[in-house]
Amino acid sequence: MPESSRKAIVTCRGVTKTYKLGAIEVPALNGVDLDLLEGDFATLAGPSGSGKSTLLNLIGGLDQATTGEVSVGGQVLKGLSRSKMTELRLHRIGFVFQAYNLIPVLSALENIELILQLRGVGQNERRDRAMEALADVGLQGMEDRRPSNLSGGQQQRVAVARALIGRPSIVLADEPTANLDSHTAEDLIDLMYTLNQQSGVTFLIGTHDARVIAHAKRRIEMTDGRIVSDDREEQAHAA
Amino acid sequence: MQTITLLFPLAWRNLWRNPRRTIITLVVVAAGLYSILVFAAIMTAWAKSSRDTTLDLITGSGQIHAVGYLADPSIDHTMAPPDTVLTRALNHPEISAWAERVMVPAVVQSEYRTLPLTLAGIDPAKEKRLSILPKDMAEGSYLSSSDGYDIVLGRHFAERLKTRVGKRVIILATATDGSLSEQSYTVVGLFGGNQQVEDAYAFVGKQSAQKMLGLGDAISEIAFKLVDDSTRATVIADLRSAAPRLDIEPWTKLSPLAAAMDQFMTGFVYVWLWVMFVFMAIGIVNTQLMAVFERSREFGLLQALGMRPRHILMQVVIESGLMVGVGVLIGFVASILTVLAFAGGIDLGFLAQGAEYFGAGRVLYPDLSPLQFIELSLTVWALGIVVGLWPAQRATRARAADAIRQSN
Repeated sequence: MPESSRKAIVTCRGVTKTYKLGAIEVPALNGVDLDLLEGDFATLAGPSGSGKSTLLNLIGGLDQATTGEVSVGGQVLKGLSRSKMTELRLHRIGFVFQAYNLIPVLSALENIELILQLRGVGQNERRDRAMEALADVGLQGMEDRRPSNLSGGQQQRVAVARALIGRPSIVLADEPTANLDSHTAEDLIDLMYTLNQQSGVTFLIGTHDARVIAHAKRRIEMTDGRIVSDDREEQAHAA
Repeated sequence: MQTITLLFPLAWRNLWRNPRRTIITLVVVAAGLYSILVFAAIMTAWAKSSRDTTLDLITGSGQIHAVGYLADPSIDHTMAPPDTVLTRALNHPEISAWAERVMVPAVVQSEYRTLPLTLAGIDPAKEKRLSILPKDMAEGSYLSSSDGYDIVLGRHFAERLKTRVGKRVIILATATDGSLSEQSYTVVGLFGGNQQVEDAYAFVGKQSAQKMLGLGDAISEIAFKLVDDSTRATVIADLRSAAPRLDIEPWTKLSPLAAAMDQFMTGFVYVWLWVMFVFMAIGIVNTQLMAVFERSREFGLLQALGMRPRHILMQVVIESGLMVGVGVLIGFVASILTVLAFAGGIDLGFLAQGAEYFGAGRVLYPDLSPLQFIELSLTVWALGIVVGLWPAQRATRARAADAIRQSN
């Protein structure tokens, strides 16, 4: 799809974020402007402390910008109540975290179903969709396994399935391969890319991992709380 | 509904993430409720035994007197035997027995000593249905007629008087004309049971007492016993309307110590409930707070995924509810089994004197109505859920961003 015909899923305008550590103010973002388009498979790279995670948190509605405006799917996040923000995350945003963050007392299938259950989807539809999502990430037959009985790579695949099950506008992934060995990391990157291609869901991946960056169609680089480069490839990557 | 079907299994599984901690809390709750229910059953039994022991001796469920008798229980305040209207009222189906008595202050003289007491002129047949004393004879026999010159003394009183069965004693009392009347009686029996009563009363035939005192057919009191004490107010009201000129009082007024003891026992059950509940609450809050602190990252994650704070609150409250609920269930079943095991009575023979001091019988029958069992259990459960609100509220404070940051 040509860039001009794709609509913006996320818009950041003049976004700053300052943390207070006692009397000291630490700037994490210094005026970020960004548009993420429908279907983007973008990486957010940069050294530690460059503001990647902060930006992901602001786009994910997990934190509030000090100044500037963030909107997701046309919804401006500033001023949203805690409850509305939760609602927005439930319906518009999927998360994949470095530490997988599955609920330990739920099975793989139940972890995926959780999102649909929170949305009030009926049991049969929920089960069918979750089974399908589990198959999409290559974990058929592992429905009943608890996270403690899955490898790191398998857990992260469950997390990806959980992020996508609700058909969100965007999936935000913060260092998703950091805890994985290189082979598993490659598999995961391929999986996320394939799902991006199949579903058209926008991915924004905060990462240091060169392999992930190599797969990206769009590479955003941050330094000192600013976006210093934003390269787009219109061609699909060569897997 | 969807949320509930999500939260219940989630809450239940979370409880068993740290089985040892959950089991300790369950044991605290179960043991606490067990002690409350078993203690309540024993205290209720004690209160009932104490009340019945006191009332079944002399007082009955209530008494009827001439106005002024209670303030001055002398020969000057007698009354006529019950008329037709009062007799009909006394034959109320809720009154199991009633008896007329002559009750006057008197002095008993043996060869060795002279001691004061209350002389009770009774109808032996009627008295046997009203009082346990005729059945609790320590020695000799009870009175057989209303007009003979036999007397029954308390065992301890007889010891003090230095007399015994078969000996004669002289009764001295003020007659209706103000003169000092006296009559010789033969000791035919000694009753036991309660030292206070043993020292306070001597029983003779009603007609012989009336004759000695020149009372004609006048009496001092009518005592009555109810089938069920809960009907007390209604029956007293009926009697009062049947005999508006007489003083009709329930046992609670006639025996204020027994009434106070009854109230004290009931109140003590609730004091115990609160003491035990404070211990339980500490256990519940401690467990849940630890669980909440340990899982703050998870609560943040759930919020990040789209779970509303109120659902997180509900989840932790459900966890408390389930934990306390299981503890309550265990305590409930264990206490019912214990009470059933002692349904035949707990023999307090080994502390007979102490039990008597508190007015209780020798055997206690643990007693608590099913409604009270359920009410106390539900109270503990509800209170457990209420104290669980604090940790639950803490859980909702987890910030998604902080939780995610901690995990990376």
